[in-house]
Amino acid sequence: MAAATSSPRTEQLSRLQRWGKTVRIIFESRVATVGLMMVLFWFLLGFISLVWTPYRPNFSDFEQNLRPNSTNWLGTDHLGRDILSRLMAGTQVILLKTRLPGDFPILGGKAIPGGVALWGVFGSLTLGSVLGLNAGYRSGWWDQIIMQLLDALIAFPQIVLYLVVIAALGQGDLVVILAITVTGAPGVARLVRSLTLDIKTRDYIRAAETRGESVWFIMFREILPNIRGPLLVDSMLRVGYAIFAIGTLGFLGIGLPPPDPDWGNMVNDARRNIFFNQWAVIPPSLAIATLVIGLNLFADGLREEINRYQK
Amino acid sequence: MARFLVRSVISTIVTMLLVSIALFGLIEVGSGDITVKILGIESTAEQRASYRAQLGLDQSAALRYIGWLVGNDWLVRGRVGHKLVTVKNPQTGEDQWWADVDGQLTRWRMRSGELYALLRQENGSSVEVLANDGWQLDPETGTEFFWGVNDNNSAVKWVRGAGERVWVRTSAGFRQQGDGPQQYIPLRKGILRGDPGLALQTGRPVAVTLIPRIRNTAVLAGVAFIVVMPLALVLGILAGVNEGKPLDRVISVGGLAATATPEFVTGIFLILVLGIWLKEIWPGSPFKAVALFTSPDAIFRDPTLLLLPVLTLTAVELGYVARMTRASMVEVMDSAYIRTAIIKGMPYRRVVLRHAIRNALMAPITIIMLHVNWLVGGVVVVEVIFGYPGLGKYIYDSAIFGDFNAIEAAAMVTVFIAVVTRLIGDLAYTLLNPRLRYT
Amino acid sequence: MKSEESVGPPVLKVENLAVAYKVRGGEVEAVQDVSFEIHRGQSLGIVGESGCGKSTVAWSIVNFLGANGYVKRGSIKFQGQELVGKTGEALRRLRGDQIAMVYQDPMQALNPSMRLGDQLREVLTVHRGLSKKEAERRCIEMLERVYMPDAAAVMKRYPHQISGGQQQRVVIAMALLNNPALVIMDEPTTALDVTVEAAVLDLVAELRRDFDTAIMFISHNLGVVARVCNHVGVMYAGEMVERARVGDLYANPQHPYTQGLMRCVPKLGSDKVSSILYPIRGRVPPPDNRPAGCIYGPRCDYAQDRCQHEHPALRPISGVGNWARCHFAEEIDAAAWTPPEEIPIPTIDQPQSDNQPIMQINELSKYYEVRGDSLRDVFGLSQPRYVKAVERVSFTVPKGKTLGIVGESGCGKSTLIKTIIGLEDSSSGEAQFMGFDITGAIQQRDTQLIRELQMVFQNPDSTMNPSYTVGQQIGRPMERFNTVPKNQIRSEVIKLLEAMRLGSNYYDRLPRQLSGGEKQRVGIARALASQPDLVLCDEPVSALDVSVQAAILNLLLEVQQQFGTTLIFIAHDLSVVRFFSDYVAVMYLGQMMEIGPAEAIYAPPYHPYTEALLSAVPIPDPKARQKRIRLEGAVPSAMNPPTGCRFNTRCPRRHLLPDPDICLTEPPWRDVGPDHQIFCHHTVETLSSFDPVIAETV
Repeated sequence: MAAATSSPRTEQLSRLQRWGKTVRIIFESRVATVGLMMVLFWFLLGFISLVWTPYRPNFSDFEQNLRPNSTNWLGTDHLGRDILSRLMAGTQVILLKTRLPGDFPILGGKAIPGGVALWGVFGSLTLGSVLGLNAGYRSGWWDQIIMQLLDALIAFPQIVLYLVVIAALGQGDLVVILAITVTGAPGVARLVRSLTLDIKTRDYIRAAETRGESVWFIMFREILPNIRGPLLVDSMLRVGYAIFAIGTLGFLGIGLPPPDPDWGNMVNDARRNIFFNQWAVIPPSLAIATLVIGLNLFADGLREEINRYQK
Repeated sequence: MARFLVRSVISTIVTMLLVSIALFGLIEVGSGDITVKILGIESTAEQRASYRAQLGLDQSAALRYIGWLVGNDWLVRGRVGHKLVTVKNPQTGEDQWWADVDGQLTRWRMRSGELYALLRQENGSSVEVLANDGWQLDPETGTEFFWGVNDNNSAVKWVRGAGERVWVRTSAGFRQQGDGPQQYIPLRKGILRGDPGLALQTGRPVAVTLIPRIRNTAVLAGVAFIVVMPLALVLGILAGVNEGKPLDRVISVGGLAATATPEFVTGIFLILVLGIWLKEIWPGSPFKAVALFTSPDAIFRDPTLLLLPVLTLTAVELGYVARMTRASMVEVMDSAYIRTAIIKGMPYRRVVLRHAIRNALMAPITIIMLHVNWLVGGVVVVEVIFGYPGLGKYIYDSAIFGDFNAIEAAAMVTVFIAVVTRLIGDLAYTLLNPRLRYT
Repeated sequence: MKSEESVGPPVLKVENLAVAYKVRGGEVEAVQDVSFEIHRGQSLGIVGESGCGKSTVAWSIVNFLGANGYVKRGSIKFQGQELVGKTGEALRRLRGDQIAMVYQDPMQALNPSMRLGDQLREVLTVHRGLSKKEAERRCIEMLERVYMPDAAAVMKRYPHQISGGQQQRVVIAMALLNNPALVIMDEPTTALDVTVEAAVLDLVAELRRDFDTAIMFISHNLGVVARVCNHVGVMYAGEMVERARVGDLYANPQHPYTQGLMRCVPKLGSDKVSSILYPIRGRVPPPDNRPAGCIYGPRCDYAQDRCQHEHPALRPISGVGNWARCHFAEEIDAAAWTPPEEIPIPTIDQPQSDNQPIMQINELSKYYEVRGDSLRDVFGLSQPRYVKAVERVSFTVPKGKTLGIVGESGCGKSTLIKTIIGLEDSSSGEAQFMGFDITGAIQQRDTQLIRELQMVFQNPDSTMNPSYTVGQQIGRPMERFNTVPKNQIRSEVIKLLEAMRLGSNYYDRLPRQLSGGEKQRVGIARALASQPDLVLCDEPVSALDVSVQAAILNLLLEVQQQFGTTLIFIAHDLSVVRFFSDYVAVMYLGQMMEIGPAEAIYAPPYHPYTEALLSAVPIPDPKARQKRIRLEGAVPSAMNPPTGCRFNTRCPRRHLLPDPDICLTEPPWRDVGPDHQIFCHHTVETLSSFDPVIAETV
């Protein structure tokens, strides 16, 4: 009865087909498609900048404060550097590479793949998941203590935290990653906790408990895989917030250290010279805004589409 | 309900304590040598060490934290042997510390190896008398010492015949003096008793500078709040009841774009468009690309200074609140009881106004309240862009300088705002939600 | 029942209705070709399994199909007016005034933040333009009419402040306020306990007579429909397959599907030795993949060539009053039906009766500490208070037998098995399983002991972890308890799958590719994977449709035969418990009221509570004569239970005692038969003198 009459619904889907299905979901939503395009655009530009930029991004090869023209498509900054080249190279530190300090135990002084925003979000996902799972699944005192700590962390205005952390530890890619991790973790933990509170009422968790499984097994093997979906959508939003935060830090002059160009810092420099060159503030501002908006649109569209799909 | 309230209040207090400890610890680890910043890099190691001692930085961190939190006069009292009190300085209005020696307010000073007592008179001046009979014998070392209050609001220990060479910061500059104390404990009442200490950058009490700053920020955030809230709730509700229609799309995507754009980008664009380009077409436009805040009260004399900062904050917050309200409204309009109301034949307006809105506003109110500390972040950036003399700019400047007293105080204000608004949000939620109210 | 025949024009006339929903990549017809009519004072029951489209029919009448649903064909005439296509103001005026609805879950259906009075009153003020005061008076009258205690005070309450049964009364009162011509009831009692359900059904029947309303009553439960309806339509996969007067349908079902349904349901009083449940083979086709020809064809035992090509029409069957959608209805003789070979039928041997107890529970209690909400409580100054969820329960389970535990929600049956399996520790008392102490929580138990006690869960949708394949989930207990060498796990899992009548191709499937019944089979396989001696089943079939339920019950019986497993079986459905169990325990508010062999529980002497429960059970036979005992009031709070016999506040037999105050003291356990004990102050003679609840069917 089983095999012979199985309807198409129950047929095996290969991994590839399932991926195809996911991709189709993205393109079903116009919002998600537009968002994805915006994000991919910057990734593409970043990858290109690894091998080629129109001019040297960190050298004053031109006159200062040039308007956009045929040589420098986006003009030059107050030090006579090509803005387009700097803009392209600026994607690297956010999305593509993280520079380790010289005295770092492994790979000191080298850059590792994955931008500061991505590592920061990865950090907050890891920390937040562990805290959220423990608070949600164990409940009782664990929950009280973890939530109290998180409440304190949430109450701490993020910008103050950034300012103090960076004042304390100095500028650097790793410091920014740490700051993003710490400020992002409470949000992730709350989300994970609420998802866990829901999942833990399911009978399969009872089944695991009646098998006498350990708490860690239940949290990481039984619960975690089932909250992947919402967590993924959320982390997409978080990459957006992280870029937002990196931009803000750069703008405040305490962001990613030189020599690599940093968009927030470019905006800040251009702002100081806004009366000499109004055009220099626009490209980096738009870059940050479109990348963050793109990520938001993508996550939003995806979430909406997944919800609709589940209905 | 009582349980809930008590828990919220306790949690709020614990939160603030935890935050203050964390903040203190972070600054402790990271602030580096503050004396370099105060005295300049050309200062000598000896000068810095002397000044560190005067700031009380040679005490343990725990002692300094306690002093910061609840004051240290009660700890020091045993050493001085008299009650320590504060009196307002009639000229500056700042607090001065005195020892209350049997009703006579007294300070001490050492000059040429001799100990003098300064007796405060009714009119605020003081009379100097020789007080060498105050020396006490240290049985272990055989030296004579004295604990008293000096004229710089510290409890200090002098040793007879061993006046330290100390570097003193005066209005005229930094100079060396003899007859200095061996040990300093700067006296303070602690933040819980309303004394956040002295700003290291200016040497003035933090409380004095902070209050106008808080007021300015309150004006900025308040105006923004009054503009944002009604508008955002209306837009959110409109979008929510028109889910999926063009109006909803416009509000949702517009809101998302406004929220996802960092404040500094929004601010710069507004400066560019309204402050510069508009000015070229319309010279009389009230928007100012560069606003000079000549005094802390400037905004009251020229309210147009507020225009661009408020607009920037509004742009960022409007989208967020509208989207929250929309999501909540969509959920409520999808619920079974709204279905009931429609099937009961209620007119659509009544369904929305009587049945939906109240339930739909519950979620955003808590979320908005939780969002306040995010708003504080926005305020910092907006104030930095426009040079607005508010709390955010104060935090930024203090953090860049490493002025721990100032950061601590200002940060505690923001944390206090954050936790209290959350408490209010919780309360509002309980009041709106009969299921919580009647249990 | 007064006039069963239609007089005058029908209130509602639905003809050839088809409803479609637009979905990703096209649309599906959830309802096809449905026709029926309802007259004043009539009630038409619509029965069918989940997903058959019965609710969609209801929503299409009030034109509330959501953004993506629409009436594709056919007409819906209400008092002669066409409703299809009606929108806006005209539709609004009908809704709530002429057509009213009662829903499945009253808690969800009432606005949580509005007082009940406001929600009731507006029906009158909006539709009738009554003054607030007049409306208030009418609402209170109506609440009293639906037997709502303290009606005036209820007007000022919020929904969460009254019980589920009372909420449903409010919703019914709301529906009746404007004296509508048609009331649509969509599973109005499904969320309620059996005794509450009985009272609500009585009310519905009474109101139909008094108000002369037409009622459309939707339910999945054949027994409920038999009790309140005089006409019944049976739906299957979006079509109405049979329509008849209630007596004809139950006595003489014409469509093979209806006949199949009747064979799936255990009759109250039948047991596994004397009767057999026959599940319907196959499964309901999804709406986007219905077979050509007769939609029931692929599952029908009488299907012929014609059924595969020609779609049958709903037609009157000659010789009987029924209409059925079957080409061969006249030729089918339900009595001559023999089960087809592919349906697995368990054979029940009279089990070897060594009756060695495998589990002994003695005076086991479970209390939960609750925190109060006053300031004193918050600071821990007041006495701690407890919910006495399980109070001094004792029983033994013989090896290889089945103990059924019945009771309404809140009776402590779930807490009891949680305590037994170790999800909770016990507060006091003794509990032994195979000689091991099991009073502690699972963390304190030995792995081998854990292995011996396993559990089957209620909800098929949550019993499996969505992230792992069937094989991984069944294999995990083997891996964890080392019952099978690692390299043989796969083959052992496949063996088990085959024992569950699932093929080895299920090994790599994910839960979302399985139907509810299949998930439940996997859940059973997982419980059996560690080769336990005792399996606790927590309502394993209550979330399943009747045809699937029968198959799962059969499977469990088979498993028990094959592995000699002892079962503890919890359910709220008394017919199922009676059918399935060797021994039955009845619980009320944490106390055990009666325990004994299954057949003894269902015949006098009864505990008064058991008697009330039995008389509330909806029986799928309109001719059955059932004693009518209804309990007053609501179940008291377990935090503050009545002293003595916890049932004393509601006991309908209490007044028969010479001194009713004796109920405030703890009753004795009375031996009323072999292994049969009743916890009551009444003497055995009094208890034996009660009539049987169900008289033999005529």
